[in-house]
Amino acid sequence: MLAGEEVIEQMWGVSLDRLYDSDEGQRILSCIQCGTCAGACPYGEHMLYPPRRIITMLKAGLIEDVFDSDSLFKCVNCYTCMTKCPRNIRLTEILLPLVKEQSAVRLEEMPAELQKAIENTYRYGNTYGESARKRAAWIETIEVPIRILAKDPAPVDILWFVECDLSYHPRGQAAARATALLFHLLGLDFAILGPEERCAGDCGRLSWEPGLAETLVDYNLSIFDKYTFNRIVTNDPHALDAFKFRYPMFAFKHKTTATVPELYAHLDRLKPMLTKKLDYLVTYHDSCCLGRHNGFYDEPRALLEAIPGVRLVEMDHNRENSICCGGGGGGMWLDTWYKQQGIERLSDRRLREVIATRANVLAVACPYEVSRFEDAVKLAGYEDRIIVRDITELLVEAIGGH
Amino acid sequence: MNETIETTQTAQPWRPRIVAFFCNWCTYTAADLAGVSRMKYAPNTRIIRVMCSGRIDPQFVLEALSEGADGVLIGGCHPGDCHYAEGNYKALRRFHLLRRMLIGMGIDEKRFRLEWISASEGDKVKTVINDMVEQLQQLGPLDIPARRKAWDVELEEAKAQVPRYEEFEEAAHV
Amino acid sequence: MKGNGDIRIGFYICHCGTNIAGLIDVARIAEYAGTLPGVVVARDYKYMCSDPGQDLLREDIAAYHLMRIVVASCSPLLHEQTFRRAAEKGGINPYFVQMVNIREHGTWVHDDAEYMTGKAMDMVRAAVLRVYAHQPLERKQVPITPDVLIVGGGIAGIHAALTMADAGKHVYLVEREPTIGGHMAQFDKTFPTLDCAACILTPKMTAVKAHPNITLWTWSEVEKVDGFIGNFTVTVKRKARYVDEDLCVGCMECIEACIYKQGKFPDEFNMGLSKRKPIFIPFPQAVPPVPVIDPGQCLHLKKGTCKDTCVEICADRKAINFEQEPEYKEIEVGAIILATGFTPFDATRIPYYGYGKYPNVYTALELERLVNASGPTGGEVRLPDGRTPERVAIVHCVGSRDEHYNRWCSRVCCMYSMKLAHLVKEKTHAEIFNFYIDMRAPGKSMEEFYNRISSEGIHLVRGRVADVYPETLEKKTNGQIGRVIVQAEDTLIGRIRKIPVDMLILSTGLQPRIDAEEIRRMFNISCSAGGFFLERHPKLAPVNTFTDGIFLAGTCQGPKDIPDTVAQAGAAASEALALIDRGVFELEPNTAYIMEDDCSGCKSCIPLCPYTAIAFKEEKQKAEINEALCKGCGTCVASCPSGSIRQHLFEDEEIYREIRGLLAYA
Repeated sequence: MLAGEEVIEQMWGVSLDRLYDSDEGQRILSCIQCGTCAGACPYGEHMLYPPRRIITMLKAGLIEDVFDSDSLFKCVNCYTCMTKCPRNIRLTEILLPLVKEQSAVRLEEMPAELQKAIENTYRYGNTYGESARKRAAWIETIEVPIRILAKDPAPVDILWFVECDLSYHPRGQAAARATALLFHLLGLDFAILGPEERCAGDCGRLSWEPGLAETLVDYNLSIFDKYTFNRIVTNDPHALDAFKFRYPMFAFKHKTTATVPELYAHLDRLKPMLTKKLDYLVTYHDSCCLGRHNGFYDEPRALLEAIPGVRLVEMDHNRENSICCGGGGGGMWLDTWYKQQGIERLSDRRLREVIATRANVLAVACPYEVSRFEDAVKLAGYEDRIIVRDITELLVEAIGGH
Repeated sequence: MNETIETTQTAQPWRPRIVAFFCNWCTYTAADLAGVSRMKYAPNTRIIRVMCSGRIDPQFVLEALSEGADGVLIGGCHPGDCHYAEGNYKALRRFHLLRRMLIGMGIDEKRFRLEWISASEGDKVKTVINDMVEQLQQLGPLDIPARRKAWDVELEEAKAQVPRYEEFEEAAHV
Repeated sequence: MKGNGDIRIGFYICHCGTNIAGLIDVARIAEYAGTLPGVVVARDYKYMCSDPGQDLLREDIAAYHLMRIVVASCSPLLHEQTFRRAAEKGGINPYFVQMVNIREHGTWVHDDAEYMTGKAMDMVRAAVLRVYAHQPLERKQVPITPDVLIVGGGIAGIHAALTMADAGKHVYLVEREPTIGGHMAQFDKTFPTLDCAACILTPKMTAVKAHPNITLWTWSEVEKVDGFIGNFTVTVKRKARYVDEDLCVGCMECIEACIYKQGKFPDEFNMGLSKRKPIFIPFPQAVPPVPVIDPGQCLHLKKGTCKDTCVEICADRKAINFEQEPEYKEIEVGAIILATGFTPFDATRIPYYGYGKYPNVYTALELERLVNASGPTGGEVRLPDGRTPERVAIVHCVGSRDEHYNRWCSRVCCMYSMKLAHLVKEKTHAEIFNFYIDMRAPGKSMEEFYNRISSEGIHLVRGRVADVYPETLEKKTNGQIGRVIVQAEDTLIGRIRKIPVDMLILSTGLQPRIDAEEIRRMFNISCSAGGFFLERHPKLAPVNTFTDGIFLAGTCQGPKDIPDTVAQAGAAASEALALIDRGVFELEPNTAYIMEDDCSGCKSCIPLCPYTAIAFKEEKQKAEINEALCKGCGTCVASCPSGSIRQHLFEDEEIYREIRGLLAYA
């Protein structure tokens, strides 16, 4: 489901009334109503209007009815419908965001948690409502020297876009420290924006606030313009998505990759450092953005397999058929709302697959997942049997002495 | 030029005209397939059928450009698929030499294109032609015939500088 | 450019119903053509290819003393011969005709009416100028070798071979596998009649073996094809079977006597659902009834250490021959029928259907073997753990109608899925769920068949299966180990269904054979976009290819069911027969020739010719073209430095006139 540049361009600035102007938009007309999208959707059974019915309603001129429903509040932007669609309709990229936007406008009351996250991002540039000045506070907790561009604006190879969760969330900070250490040990030339960095805006867009997303894009672009760097590396696959599919619309041309493929590129140098044997049975959860949307399936697995002692087992749903943790598309801030509706959280559902593998470590590569799955593990009472770790954390653990 | 032959597109604004030489077995058939599949593409191409891309004499290309084509497209079978075993390789070799020459003459390389299009690639006919038309649209008219008129004037002027020119010319015709 | 002088030209533009006239102004074009030099009559007509259209041509030739004809209509690949014949009947040389392709290259692909009318005028002008220079040409005839090669011994190849052989032609039937029969031999029953595949197929297989006009080469492959229509030279490799076909009496005692007491290797014919020995016969009714030895598995051939019990039991029949080497046969044939068949879609390519991951997920072809009385379970439908399934799901369209895999509808899956539903229900009384997108039942008796099976009480769920996973992962049910949940939207009730089943059957589609590309190259034919072999015309020449003398039969050309395959095989056979019985074939007179006076003897043309049709005549110090060998590509023409090689039908002058006519500079 990788999108080539010509496809990406067609996603820009599409509106419902100009939906069929582009070739990719026109594909919607080729829908054969097979229902794969609805059947594949992790929340399809809870939607009055799953993607298939949205298309029928659209064609019948009844799309207004869809705007009035909360169906797409259950869309977690996991790209599953799009990946499996036999007509290759780019649902998650083209149609669903447009419908979401309209649904949000009609909604009488935004779910409180989500509302708060959006407000926080407007005010502070992060969903946590933390002070922007504290964004780089975590670097005090690590001995590795980390350059902040505002203080030392010399050109740098890698602009490491840390993102909110790694900057503020305690579990995220652990991954931030691990990543910093790995970059440092590999001798990479990197720097961060520190207090100048704000949320990349992908969550904002996908949570039906395109205005917020654009404000953030404008802001971050103005900051990028201040410095000279070769490429951006980010731990957050959602930010990767934003940089790859959204920012180019605003004349952003920087090469961007995620931390996992970046580390994978240095695997030959990294591997000799992994000396400590970790006797773990690991299962890896594919992040939707990293896997389905950007095609990084082998890289995270290769990193895990490079760790001595680690045995990798697969869950029933893996790679392109993985199931979302439920955090995307604003889902991160809708858990309470789902609970009110009596809908099982996807992280809880996913955990059953983890348990079935008998793995004792669940490896992840997206900052949302650590906290979501740790919560699910607690709820299931498996705290003593399953630990959740970011891949970077496992790598650092295997390096030993740190 | 024969005066009795009227042109048919005087009233229209300039649109690039491409002369395309397509081989009978692959690309001409592909263009037929595009038709049967009702694919819509830019109408600026005039197709000439030859049995094999190997038949295309560089002189044909020069003739087309000099008669007013804004670009020339050659279509043949994919390497290894030539109906006549290897005519398309010959076409490829000639294409490279001729392209170098055209560039030397100041003709943009986008005006001369060689594409391998198999009988099943109707959609490729569409994309290649659309793409080439778009490029030619940006380049503007080549218009060698008009330039030829200017060259004729230059030649006439040159004649005036040659004493007893007519005698030379007559001698040359004998 | 010269005018057309005293050459009298007739111009005709075809409306083709509304295909051409619906977009462009045909009357205006005809009027314009009338103003072109030499054109003495210019008409537009509804259907030029119709009999009245052709009559019109002939009458005009007489009435206006026409010497050249230009027809603006469809592609010359479609109707050039039609109009040439009409011209000939009218009394002029058939090569005095030029066509203008304003349909396929015009009205079908463009929608700017005004521009297209102008473009059509350009094209017409070019043709009028070109036709002026046309030369009268003689048709060339080549004799046709009366024998025929048929590649592929499935039902298509078998039927074509029997048809040709019955007509008295000698047929070489080449089959890659150790037996003929193809996929049909693996099927249990056939829709819509539900008669047993073996019962209707095996008599035809034996008839092939017994037919005096058929040379059957199984375990053989075509290695090389040279020549052209009427005169193909084909090399066939007969792989080493290690059992001499002439000496073997088909007693099968060698298989029984093999040192391996039990089958050890996956049985290909049973889709790996059973095991066979290194010496085996695919199935009891195999033709020829001669075992084959797999050299990678046989102890003697692999290690040289075996008690050779097979040789011992064969005794003085001496049919087993470990020394056998591949044999290469060279044959001369006049026509070739390709009947190379299809490959089922590889279900492992769709990860979310769980094939290869969950043992109770089967492909349809595996099920055919499982329900077959001579199959690995003797016809009992049992799961790998020995249970009889109580709930079975059948997924239609696996790998078909899908942009990620095969875009086409495989045409047979709906009906064979209904057939499997019936067979499985009959044998197990299981509850059956057929998941379909659209139920396709075209063709004779198919709707009636669909009606019959759906009335048997199977569940038809309209929705494409989106996910398959173990029932144990589902929270709400007490997941039973070994069962899988089939998840799909039932689009008719608008609900997501999660149906636990014991057995899942994937109705995999039909796709070109893995090596279709190599075969295509070997025979110098084309493939359609999906990789099936391309017919010359989808409607009017469905068994012909663009290479004269090579015909198509069966699923190598596209998915089709058995009745259609047999019908097409018959059609291919009769096309080949018509060709052979004519005895000669007329070649397009587009060969190259040398203007000897101009040839400087530089020899640069000689290595260019792929057919070695150009020789250097030492005594004259000139090149000479053997027109019998020349295929008319024109490569030498374009490369001759002195311009002394020319090509009939594609003379330089004709092409220059076409170029100038197209552009007629404003």
